[in-house]
Amino acid sequence: MQREVVPWDNPEPLTGPIGVPLVDLLDRLLATGVVISGDLVIAIADVPLVRLSLHALLSSVNERVPAPWADGGPL
Amino acid sequence: MTERGPEQTADESALYVFAVCNAPDPAVFVRLPGVAVETQLRPLRFGGLTAIVQTVRAADFTDEAWQTRMSDRDELERYARAHHDVVSAAAASCPTVPLPLATLYHGEERARRALLDETERFRAALERTAGHCEWGVKVYAPESPPPDQGHLPSREEAPAARSRPAPGAGLAYLERKRGVQAQRERRHEDALRVAETVDAAFQCIAASGRRLRLHAPEPAGQGRVQVLNATYLVAEHQAAELDALTRTLRDATGARIEVSGPWVPYSFVGEV
Repeated sequence: MQREVVPWDNPEPLTGPIGVPLVDLLDRLLATGVVISGDLVIAIADVPLVRLSLHALLSSVNERVPAPWADGGPL
Repeated sequence: MTERGPEQTADESALYVFAVCNAPDPAVFVRLPGVAVETQLRPLRFGGLTAIVQTVRAADFTDEAWQTRMSDRDELERYARAHHDVVSAAAASCPTVPLPLATLYHGEERARRALLDETERFRAALERTAGHCEWGVKVYAPESPPPDQGHLPSREEAPAARSRPAPGAGLAYLERKRGVQAQRERRHEDALRVAETVDAAFQCIAASGRRLRLHAPEPAGQGRVQVLNATYLVAEHQAAELDALTRTLRDATGARIEVSGPWVPYSFVGEV
């Protein structure tokens, strides 16, 4: 499988790359999946990032996970 | 849905459900902490499928607790990654349907009943995603020079110039303003066109595609503007094509294109 375009270095597929940016993770964890009615938490999918400072989120993503092409990219 | 009775006590337990799988290898969960330190991850069999679950303290997983967690980046990240680790481990061992963060039940019986009710949806999702992975594609507008505002009178200058402006100065000013605006609109349209081009190209090799919420412009400094945040379900045997396609699109559009993956098909197990 191709690795070159992946902005993190995961040794094997599907094992949860450590460097996966939180913002991308939340895109997938919050409002997706087979949504089935739970007993306790009812609204989490509806409040993604609303109460979370998106700027804080993004800036810390950046410092932890630098852009994959720091030199301006292979454009 | 929410049944928080007044009888709920601090040590009442709840069952957190991470994912539903075909036949997971229990060994892959042994070292994973899940979302609670006191208890182990365990399988919960239902209707021929297996859910990966963990007993947790109910008080730690109420709506209110999550509301607080959502506003604490580090806390949220800890839970999101813990959830993702379990889902990824399950998916590495067998076909897996991830559940969204924070799916909880008051107990094993309630969980089993709820899961049983959805067995057909789980089976359909497992079938749909078998042999596929999810790949994220984010496109950022090509870098553009800052709009030419050198000739616009600045706020400080304007009131200071007490003398009457030259005839036609107002009109020229408006035209420059209009020019800047038109330039901005053109760039915006170009960026949207690039997004459509990239999306169409990935749709061609994908079994399915979804647009996700665009991320806000990055703060100070880079100011990259995201024009596409999409995710695609791609057959494993076609994943090798993604690299070449991405390169081709980068060359053709000049846009910054970031591809991430392979992901467990989070975005393609619900009603797509």
